[in-house]
Amino acid sequence: MGRYVVRRLGQLVVVVLGATMILFACLFVLPGDPVGQIAGSDKARDPAVIAQLHKQYGLDDPLIVQYGNYVGKLVQGDLGEDYTQSRPVSEILGPKLANTAKLATAAIVLDIIIGISVGVLAAMRRYSIWDVSATFVTTLAIGVPSIVLGMIMQRVFVIELGWFPLIADDSFNSIVLPAVTLAIIDAALVAQLARSTMLEVLGADYVKTAVAKGLPRRTVLTRHILRNSVIPVITYLGISFGGLLGGAIITETIFNWNGIGLALIQAIQQNNNPVIVGVVTISVAVFVVLNLVVDLLYAALDPRIRLA
Amino acid sequence: MRGANSAKWVAGAIVIALAATACGGSDDDSSSSGKGAGKAGGTFRLGITEPVAIDPYNSQESEGILVTDNLFTGLYEPTADGKVIPALATSKEVSADGKTWTFKIKPGTKFSNGEAVDAESFIRGWNRVAQKTAASDVAYHLAGIAGFDDVQAGKATTMSGLSAPDANTLQVKLSAPDFEFYVKTTHTVFSPVPKVAGDAKNKTYNEAPIGNGPFKMQGSWQHNKSITLVRNDSYGLTKAKLDEVKIEILNSNNGVTLEYQGFEAGTFDWARMPTPQLPAAKAKYDAQGEWIDENTNGMNYLLPITDNGPLKDKKAREAISYAIDRDAIIKGVFQGMQTKSTTILPPAFTSVYQKDLCQSCIKSDPAKAKQLAKEAGLTPGTTIELGYNTGAGHEEWIQAVKQQVEKVLGVKVKATGKPFAELLADQQKPGATGMYRFAWGADYPTPDNFLYPLLDTASINKDASGKVTGDNRGRYSNPAFDALLAKARATEAEAGRNDLYKQAEKLAMDDMALIPLWNRTQLRLANTKKFADIKMDFHEDPNLAEISLK
Repeated sequence: MGRYVVRRLGQLVVVVLGATMILFACLFVLPGDPVGQIAGSDKARDPAVIAQLHKQYGLDDPLIVQYGNYVGKLVQGDLGEDYTQSRPVSEILGPKLANTAKLATAAIVLDIIIGISVGVLAAMRRYSIWDVSATFVTTLAIGVPSIVLGMIMQRVFVIELGWFPLIADDSFNSIVLPAVTLAIIDAALVAQLARSTMLEVLGADYVKTAVAKGLPRRTVLTRHILRNSVIPVITYLGISFGGLLGGAIITETIFNWNGIGLALIQAIQQNNNPVIVGVVTISVAVFVVLNLVVDLLYAALDPRIRLA
Repeated sequence: MRGANSAKWVAGAIVIALAATACGGSDDDSSSSGKGAGKAGGTFRLGITEPVAIDPYNSQESEGILVTDNLFTGLYEPTADGKVIPALATSKEVSADGKTWTFKIKPGTKFSNGEAVDAESFIRGWNRVAQKTAASDVAYHLAGIAGFDDVQAGKATTMSGLSAPDANTLQVKLSAPDFEFYVKTTHTVFSPVPKVAGDAKNKTYNEAPIGNGPFKMQGSWQHNKSITLVRNDSYGLTKAKLDEVKIEILNSNNGVTLEYQGFEAGTFDWARMPTPQLPAAKAKYDAQGEWIDENTNGMNYLLPITDNGPLKDKKAREAISYAIDRDAIIKGVFQGMQTKSTTILPPAFTSVYQKDLCQSCIKSDPAKAKQLAKEAGLTPGTTIELGYNTGAGHEEWIQAVKQQVEKVLGVKVKATGKPFAELLADQQKPGATGMYRFAWGADYPTPDNFLYPLLDTASINKDASGKVTGDNRGRYSNPAFDALLAKARATEAEAGRNDLYKQAEKLAMDDMALIPLWNRTQLRLANTKKFADIKMDFHEDPNLAEISLK
């Protein structure tokens, strides 16, 4: 188990290096001068200033040198300096990552609560009116793009009703709409997933055996049915949480949520490469770690799964 | 930060979906500013996008200038209609050769930390910007001051042209005559700074600048979050009435949408609007007196390449202009909310504005266009390049221009969209031909700030490879025009100078050195129910220092 974790963490290094390298190469071949984007006026900038900025950020070096410098700093926990504010990327992304984590956690909690309970109830009352309407509503929810959902929520609850603030502040109120927007689609997916795995498990021989040997209904449900049905759900939630932490670009943009999704899209528009690479590096790392956590959880839930 | 850019891979679709452009216009006159003596107090709330800087050393776009301009007061100020009025300067004197300026500074005013605002504080501020290490994007405004080059080259730390004969006298020696130098001091880069400012890279100061303006910072700049200004009660000129200005920093992707929604929700007192929402917003808010429209100093043109290619002949350029139906585009694309431009200089410069100077701009005339094209040898089937920047809302009208010109003249217009930086590079290339989408806004209210950089021969400034390094990307060159500008620059009296500028503009217009399209009409929503005296200033920002409670 210990060796497994070490090996997986080793993989993390390889994946992060690979991802940043591909990204570096992409950014390098794409047109557009990052320095030219810092000030977006209609006027040309002084060539001397541009040359100086190029030198300052090492933009005249060949790709491999730039990448080497980046990795050299990365291992020391330094993500470089951003082009527009001349501040360390880690200092810029730190609070944003915390904001995104807050939002992602709220969303994932909603996913679990809503998704699993709807799914489980639907499976236990299969073909009841409850099950049919749950299937209908979740299918509908999956089909609605989050951009539409977010904008509708904003229009109704912020502008028309005035229940929530338009611009996110530190209050609890400001997290509600973005978290719900993020959660609805995922929760619907989780509900459908939970329902189908649960139905599968309900029909399994070991459940029939457990019932036959006279175990209390409650024990059958928690020990045998639930425990086995949540495994695929956990896989899904793990990946989904990783995605959320990587920045929910659309939702953060709609709600002006100051997280890394928003930082990413702005950085892309400004050719602010250090921030783009920084966000991707963080996202990849988060993803790999979460995958590991999911795999470890697997083992804990199902002793038949051996990690080696 | 409003230019187009190379929106990349993943973001492309989302950006397009969310992009909200900040332009628009209207030709209806409606004033929405309240009248009557306003009261002091109140918090004015608005949204902007993240500024580049809020400190004078690098403040540059209207968002950054909004903050800097309210934190600092310099020698002169621009009015919304392009005039220049004294701020801290009590008098100005220029030597007969136009090279030495002496300003008297109002005595007894202070920075918000109590330090005196004297001639030294101006010298300190200007030298701070000029330092090579500052790498300021706006330092070039100081380039006319003697010794600037040495400071930029790192050979000196202070400009030799600046001196303070006494505490309230600032003497500026220029390296070349400039009878309009005082006009340039309206730019925030010419602000005074206190001793605590330190050098230009002093982040502590730059995040919470201490100034001498009508407002002061409350706390420091919360990046991507907010900036709060409060009234500076020790301000040396007319004190502001608002207690507080709360500036939310919105993300640039849908900032304009958020501003508009914020106004609708009552979160903001001032807002821009996404173009598609303009008709609905106007219908709703104009009736309530909350709609502001102003022709500002920004101008939109087609930039013809005049030294090479199919538009070398001025008749060819005139033919293009006659072929374009500006009214149809304004109606169809801009939903009636732009105003047609018939000049090179903006209508906001009321003292030099010569309406309808461009005859071919007034009304489309296909017959005349065909005739002129024939005379210029612009034959059907010729290909004309038309470059524009993508992602900034230009696609639609560019297509309209392309279709109109193709239909009327039988030529082929090859419209190519590129990221903004590439478009600028394209214009500079040796051998560039055809025309480009082009816009210009003034840094200070003088016709010179349009005519010299855009049209003077010296502003072509080709380097050894033939690349144009100046802002005269059309390579327009006419000795008579240059002579008029030089004469204007050497003319001390404003009236005489303006007359020469008008003559120069007419000459360039007769040559069709630029093809005017539309004036930049800016539209805003303003909470006139709660506040009085809200107007748009020279920088297209609200005039915070004058707003009062109703």
